[in-house]
Amino acid sequence: MKKPEEDKNFSIKSENSCKNKKRRTGVHKMETATESLIFENHRFLSTLSLGKRKISEDLPLGTHGTFRQKSSTFEHTLSFSGCARAARQSIGNIGNILSRKMAASTSQPSVPWPNSKDDYELGKVIGVGATAVVHGAFCKPRNEKCAIKRINLEKWNTSMDELLKEIQAMSSCNHENVVTYYTSFVVREELWLVLRLLEGGSLLDIIKHKMRVANCKHGVFDESTIATVLREVLKGLEYFHSNGQIHRDIKAGNILLGEDGTVQIADFGVSAWLATGRDLSRQKVRHTFVGTPCWMAPEVMEQDHGYDFKADIWSFGITAIEMATGTAPYHKYPPMKVLMLTLQNDPPNLDTGAEEKDQYKAYGKTFRKMITDCLQKDASKRPTASELLKHPFFKKAKDKKYLQQTLVAIGPSLETRVQKASKRQPGASGRLHRKETGEWVWSSEDEGEDAASSESDTDSKPMNTLASAGSSGSDHESSEGDPPPVNLVLRMRNAKRELNDIRFEFAVGKDSAEGIASELVGAGLVDGKDIEVITQNLQKLIDSRDMIKVVTFPLNSGLTNNETPDDKALIGFAQISITD
Amino acid sequence: MPLFGKSQKSPTDIVKALKEAVNALEKGEKKAEKAQEEVSKNLVLIKNMLYGTSDAEPQTDIIVAQLAQELYNSNLLLLLIQNLNRIDFEGKKDVAQVFNNILRRQIGTRSPTVEYICTKPEILFTLMSGYELQEIALNCGTMLRECARYEALAKIMLYSDDFYNFFRYVEVSTFDIASDAFSTFKELLTRHKILCADFLEVNYDKVFSHYQRLLNSENYVTRRQSLKLLGELLLDRHNFTVMTRYISNPDNLKLMMNMLKERSRNIQFEAFHVFKVFVANPNKPKPILDILLRNQDKLVDFLMKFHTDRAEDEQFNDEKAYLIRQIKELRPMAGH
Repeated sequence: MKKPEEDKNFSIKSENSCKNKKRRTGVHKMETATESLIFENHRFLSTLSLGKRKISEDLPLGTHGTFRQKSSTFEHTLSFSGCARAARQSIGNIGNILSRKMAASTSQPSVPWPNSKDDYELGKVIGVGATAVVHGAFCKPRNEKCAIKRINLEKWNTSMDELLKEIQAMSSCNHENVVTYYTSFVVREELWLVLRLLEGGSLLDIIKHKMRVANCKHGVFDESTIATVLREVLKGLEYFHSNGQIHRDIKAGNILLGEDGTVQIADFGVSAWLATGRDLSRQKVRHTFVGTPCWMAPEVMEQDHGYDFKADIWSFGITAIEMATGTAPYHKYPPMKVLMLTLQNDPPNLDTGAEEKDQYKAYGKTFRKMITDCLQKDASKRPTASELLKHPFFKKAKDKKYLQQTLVAIGPSLETRVQKASKRQPGASGRLHRKETGEWVWSSEDEGEDAASSESDTDSKPMNTLASAGSSGSDHESSEGDPPPVNLVLRMRNAKRELNDIRFEFAVGKDSAEGIASELVGAGLVDGKDIEVITQNLQKLIDSRDMIKVVTFPLNSGLTNNETPDDKALIGFAQISITD
Repeated sequence: MPLFGKSQKSPTDIVKALKEAVNALEKGEKKAEKAQEEVSKNLVLIKNMLYGTSDAEPQTDIIVAQLAQELYNSNLLLLLIQNLNRIDFEGKKDVAQVFNNILRRQIGTRSPTVEYICTKPEILFTLMSGYELQEIALNCGTMLRECARYEALAKIMLYSDDFYNFFRYVEVSTFDIASDAFSTFKELLTRHKILCADFLEVNYDKVFSHYQRLLNSENYVTRRQSLKLLGELLLDRHNFTVMTRYISNPDNLKLMMNMLKERSRNIQFEAFHVFKVFVANPNKPKPILDILLRNQDKLVDFLMKFHTDRAEDEQFNDEKAYLIRQIKELRPMAGH
């Protein structure tokens, strides 16, 4: 008989508990033939019209496996060499992996990876996340090092199916450049994932370390190092894509290095299956996306049509910049701003984040061209991973040994890494992701040395809640209760004087005009000086919504020198209208 | 010989070559390695015919129809599955892709492959036993779930003795295999509502005595998942008869009351969703009523303090309030 025992430490959101209201994310045509970007910040459906593209149809959210529901997350870095024992015997790792995967075909006798906790000795903690801890570990029967990711399933609020998908994504890969999964098993309320231990740490760790100890003003790594690493990453991506998978979170923080210079892509936490994955019981999975905004492709941000594996190529291009300059181009900005910059500006390049002209002049044309190829806003123009591998830039690539010298040897010491790992607070890093309901959520980022940086060593707290159909016994969607919210659009010019539509909902009786206005300001969509006028006019419109549908009003944020106020052209004016 | 691009070989040739290679692989002679290569190569050819490649479209319907016909006639689908563990890593995935594509093929409203498999149920049983073998379990799972989408095939699986092996597969120690088996198991028990309801009714005793073991499993995941599925099954209107039967058994009620007090809050919560059905039943049999009455005060107390932090979950709070009211108002049956 089980004893009753209270444990109040867990905060749980059950899958049963959320009523999932469908939000309208439809984009209506605007008179300027412009394409609309849909994103939601908290409660806004902000449609930014960017003045260049054409309107696209509103697709159902659930088109093929393009956006995946955010699974609860764990940290990315499972790589540090926390395992004190077993100094170095892992050179033969790949051989072992292959022998496991090919067990049927090769007759090499090796003990399979055991499923019992007692067969492993846990070493130091090498990573901590919201729902998981990663240890360096030692597998006794095999006399071999490994990494063990312990996921607390009581804290895992997302469905088990999500977890299974991640693990299946890993176990369906057998490639030198994709993180190697050995086995997984349940230990009380934890799931233990046994993975290959990559002792060199993540590329991000190495970048950050190098930037601390050396002058990287003119670039962090030389082109050969960059080419060598990136070629390996590309091989992994090529395999990934041929498998029908999209990784969706390619960045230096997710590229791990083995002591021998092996490069592997890690963290399948957000990897998605393309349409072929339809066999995975998909029920009413709402497609949500994740990723880290600095590395996120424009079409992923836009969300109005599906994206495919080309999104990884964009992130790959950003990662190339990251390896040269040490950071993603817009790392200084808050996430909403990153979205806007990515969508509005020309694609970034090596010099985008530079403080001085010619700061990165050491990097040559071929490298720059490769980056430009990856960072094309039109995804179809970006090369595939296979095509990129043929790019002349990768002629500069060398072998593993080279990476051992240029990366592994200079990497942060074990102590620094362990210290760093233990300093991490669960959930202290950040990510932008959409909730089930389509809302944008930013889970704030680990401050680190440079505030507002958005690399996430660890992952964010899962902010999403899963609304699963059915199991709570009610046949009805929550149709009772509140009146439908009023759909509104605020049209005004941004700092670059481009006309934007910011869509949002106003739930009468729940929302306040002031609250909404301050959220708009908080999201960086509206100048703080305009908070009052927007509050007043929004209130006015809501109060008399049966009579008037549109208000146009002057802004306080002022004009630039050569502008004259014009309420028709919305220069110095803004307009709020009710859209339904 | 190019792997990609236009293949000059006809479906007949490829199927023949593949069959020979699989046969050689099966015999496991010296040339096994070469046979394996041959198998993989031909699988890729077939896959490309069905799915196309980055520079070639999938083949025309006529060619695909021909290919399917060859696959049926040669009995190759079964042969591939029987030898799946001998095929290399990528080849296993290709088998699953080819199988699923051929299975989904339709002529009008007919699904010829489904009809074919109905005449060769051994294919299904071989796939199900795939869960016994670590190296092929997930590949077989992928194919099984595709099969389970078709009522005719789901029926064969449900009503076979082999179905009861799932109760073992969902508990194997390797998590990914156990959870994969569980999703197939769940698919079989929930996908085709009327079929499932009939099956559960007819085989109530056997299924639920096996199910009991899952609810009492040592494995946390098995316990949590099976409890959740139980809740879903009982609350599905199609399973009304099964539900009525389940909530008339005092042992089931006791089990749920114990699970309400489990250490894991997730399990408590899932148990709540089964427990509520016992209480909400307007025609409680005497043994059930007796248990509830015996624990009346304690249950009210317990529920008052149960998951009070779920303030935002209205439905849960409504249901909880309802249960508390119901339990408070319970009175012994008249005439006793």
